[in-house]
Amino acid sequence: MSGPLAEVLDGQRQADLQKAARALLKEPLLTADGPYADEFKLVRRHTAELREWFERNVGWTLRTDADAARLRKTPGTLTDATHPAREAARSALPFTRRRYVLLCLALAALERGEWQVALGRLAEQVVLAAADPELVAAGITFTLERRDERLDLAAVVRLLLRLGVLRRVAGDEDAYVSGSGDVLYDVRRRVLAGMPASLRGPSIVEAEGFEERLVEMTASTVLDSDELRFRAVRWKLTRILLDDPVLYYDDLTDDELAYLTRQRGFITARINELTGLVPEVRAEGIAMVDPMDHLTDARMPEQGTHGHITLLLAGHLARAAGAVEPAELAARVREMAVEHGGFWSKSAREPGAEPELVEQALDRLVALGLAERTEQGVVPRPALARYAVGEPVVRERGRPRRSATTEQPVQDVQPVQDER
Amino acid sequence: MTSDTSLTPEHSQPSAPGHYSPFAHLTTPNAPLYRQVMRAFLAAKERFAVHLRPEDVYAALDAGSRPADLEAVTQALDKLVGWGNLRADPDHARVTAVEDFYRRRFIYQLTRAGEAAEAALGTYDEVLGRRGELQAVALHDIVTQLRALLVIAAEDEPDPAMTYVALSVLTARFTDLADNARAFMGSLQRTIDLHGIEVEAFLAYKDRLIQYLERFIQDLITLGGRIALLIAELEEQERVGPLLRLAAAREAADAAPEDAERAETVAYERWAARWSGLAEWFVSGEGRESQARLLRGRALSSIPQLLAVVRQLNERRAGRSDRSADFRTLARWFAQAPDDAARHRLWRVAFGLHSSRHLTVDADTLAERTAAPEPASTPWSEARPLRISPQLRRTGSYERRGRPRRVADRGEAKRRLAEIAARQMEETRRARDRLVTGGPVRLSRLGELEPLAFQLFLRLLGDALATWRPGTTTTAATSGDGSMEIRLTALDDGSTAEVRTPDGVFCGPDHLIDIVDLTSGQGDRAAPASAPVPLPAPRRDTAPQLAEDR
Repeated sequence: MSGPLAEVLDGQRQADLQKAARALLKEPLLTADGPYADEFKLVRRHTAELREWFERNVGWTLRTDADAARLRKTPGTLTDATHPAREAARSALPFTRRRYVLLCLALAALERGEWQVALGRLAEQVVLAAADPELVAAGITFTLERRDERLDLAAVVRLLLRLGVLRRVAGDEDAYVSGSGDVLYDVRRRVLAGMPASLRGPSIVEAEGFEERLVEMTASTVLDSDELRFRAVRWKLTRILLDDPVLYYDDLTDDELAYLTRQRGFITARINELTGLVPEVRAEGIAMVDPMDHLTDARMPEQGTHGHITLLLAGHLARAAGAVEPAELAARVREMAVEHGGFWSKSAREPGAEPELVEQALDRLVALGLAERTEQGVVPRPALARYAVGEPVVRERGRPRRSATTEQPVQDVQPVQDER
Repeated sequence: MTSDTSLTPEHSQPSAPGHYSPFAHLTTPNAPLYRQVMRAFLAAKERFAVHLRPEDVYAALDAGSRPADLEAVTQALDKLVGWGNLRADPDHARVTAVEDFYRRRFIYQLTRAGEAAEAALGTYDEVLGRRGELQAVALHDIVTQLRALLVIAAEDEPDPAMTYVALSVLTARFTDLADNARAFMGSLQRTIDLHGIEVEAFLAYKDRLIQYLERFIQDLITLGGRIALLIAELEEQERVGPLLRLAAAREAADAAPEDAERAETVAYERWAARWSGLAEWFVSGEGRESQARLLRGRALSSIPQLLAVVRQLNERRAGRSDRSADFRTLARWFAQAPDDAARHRLWRVAFGLHSSRHLTVDADTLAERTAAPEPASTPWSEARPLRISPQLRRTGSYERRGRPRRVADRGEAKRRLAEIAARQMEETRRARDRLVTGGPVRLSRLGELEPLAFQLFLRLLGDALATWRPGTTTTAATSGDGSMEIRLTALDDGSTAEVRTPDGVFCGPDHLIDIVDLTSGQGDRAAPASAPVPLPAPRRDTAPQLAEDR
């Protein structure tokens, strides 16, 4: 077959493949009956091709069966702390120490358990497992008798529900938390089996130090040939470019940088082909930017109070010469509130809210690789300049301003994009 | 793989295996109930149902004598488990309610000892159920012997000795087959039902099991069908009866002469029972499936169950390391990690469930860059920045947001509507007033009408004419909305009436009309006057011929 029809079909196929790949990158564990059922079907359809791509280019394995598709993503960098487990609730708070521990103990119990489990029974098993002397030595104890402890367990279970490991059959968690009821779940063992992502199971890692443990969990086979070493470098670079917002040359070793310099075009083209991300190559590094503004969990720019404050602070930071104290940023937020506060949520306008707002904005900037927290303060990273605003330009012609927001003082000076 | 030890009941093994403890239930006050329960299990066993839930047992008890509630049966079951007659296994069936999950759920099956006790109680001469392999040979032998019987039956004078031998062999082989099949199916079911079985033990057994099942099903299908045909052939034309009688006679030959007749009868009955047992085994009757068929169904259905166990085992083996141990190790690491940041890093590495994260670029910027690409050596600070809408930068939102829109004020519109309604009402009122005649008047006196009044008038006239029948000279009608009444009386003087309107002239034969506004409160005024005014003789054609003059 040839001609326009073949082209259309081919284009459609390519679009589907791209959609499937993006879905997997965004949700590495897709279930057939989850919120991304359509994407799951696409992934199933293109499993072979996707698996081959990920195996070859990033060394990630893709496992699919009738229930779930799981891309085991090994991160390209071990130092990124901006991807915490989050509550499945709307507040999406990062997990705490106790919740992480609870989650692992719950998974261990589920792994050994049967096809069904009740939350009360799971709690008993977790309490038993928490008697582990090492946990006790680390200062962790669970009785699950107090309400806040039960809240922790409920948060853990809700995360597992969201991931599709558990399926609720009867009851609800609130009743359990308040001590008035219990919940029954089906355990989906195949999804559960897909939970761990590390190359080596932690139980066979022998290192004692925290950092060494991370390294050992992700270490692949011995790199005893040039070819393997090159492959490892390529995987690492591709992983960062595929998974993280910005790759800074500073963070690379000389070998890696040399390899990247040679292979940049090839690597970015491969990623572009699979995902539609576009390389933004600059002197300091590379960002694979997304024209569809979809393949991310943290957006910038974004609408809404927090997005707005982040954007404004980004502009401020981009102009700053060096490190900026968070207190200074808080003062800046207070100033900005005068001008823009009318557009913000009520809680953001309240005095005293500034440090919290600054923290949230900084979290996002750090997560996006645009800023860094240091002892001296917040240091902008080079890519932040893409959000810079040019010097205010006084508009000569008085444009008719039909301002619907009359409480705003009409400004003659308006920040405009620097059209260099 | 000690799955969920807390579910294993302490009495799943018979306590204190006293030699004859399975007979203990005979000497307790509740003995009749226990006997009933045990019989229910035996009956179930005949149907190859090995495991029974308390509800099943309860349902199987005689309606007349069963205890009031399930609890009594459950207690009886547990007692029998204690004596070793029954065995209890955790019930893994899926439940849909939390309470059911927590209820101690067991499924029960006969222990061999219990079975033996029952068998002993029933017959005193059967041994414990044998546990053997299926003998495919037995089926072949049965075919052979049936064929032999056919040959014998075809003879004019069947040889008693040959008949007896053939029937004896047939019976023996069949008894073997039935016992073995039963024992085999029992053990098969037990194996499949074990969820927490050791992997090695299971895998070792699996192949054998599948082999058995294959052969078993094959034999049952091929030979079972053939046997059924042979049996049917023998039963046709009553050929079996004489053979059985021959065999019975031969068996009774040794009896004392005075007992001979009775012995022969007894022997015949026994043979007949054996034969019907054989026939029932292989031939499905009306409303009753043959045992062979049941067995086949059972074997077939056990294959998916077997596969489920295999799958479960495979899932557990899929991990390279023991995943449960992995998770426990991770729990320790999370507990030992120096700070939250470290924990978040560990989470990312160990579970890799995070979303990929990328900066975005808008279409305008992208187009600009495609048109004039930046050299790769440009620092970010010198490259063209992202185009961000000034609107977004100023307000934090792409849309002009401003003050939250107030709830729309519909007052003005409402007022306008009210005005319109009032005006219309006023106009209608005026039109009505205009039409009210204040007594019978001639149509020709109506004068000029405004469009609205004219419309109203036409409607009224229409209503009135709708009641007009040939020969009518006077009529009265109430308008559709009940607000006005019109009385119309034909005039016979041949005069015509004209009603002028701005749009034209309405003309027709003159009538006497009386229009009353019923809403005005003075409607009663005209009521007494409604008695038609004496009028000249009616015209033949009284219907007014109205025509609008254009």
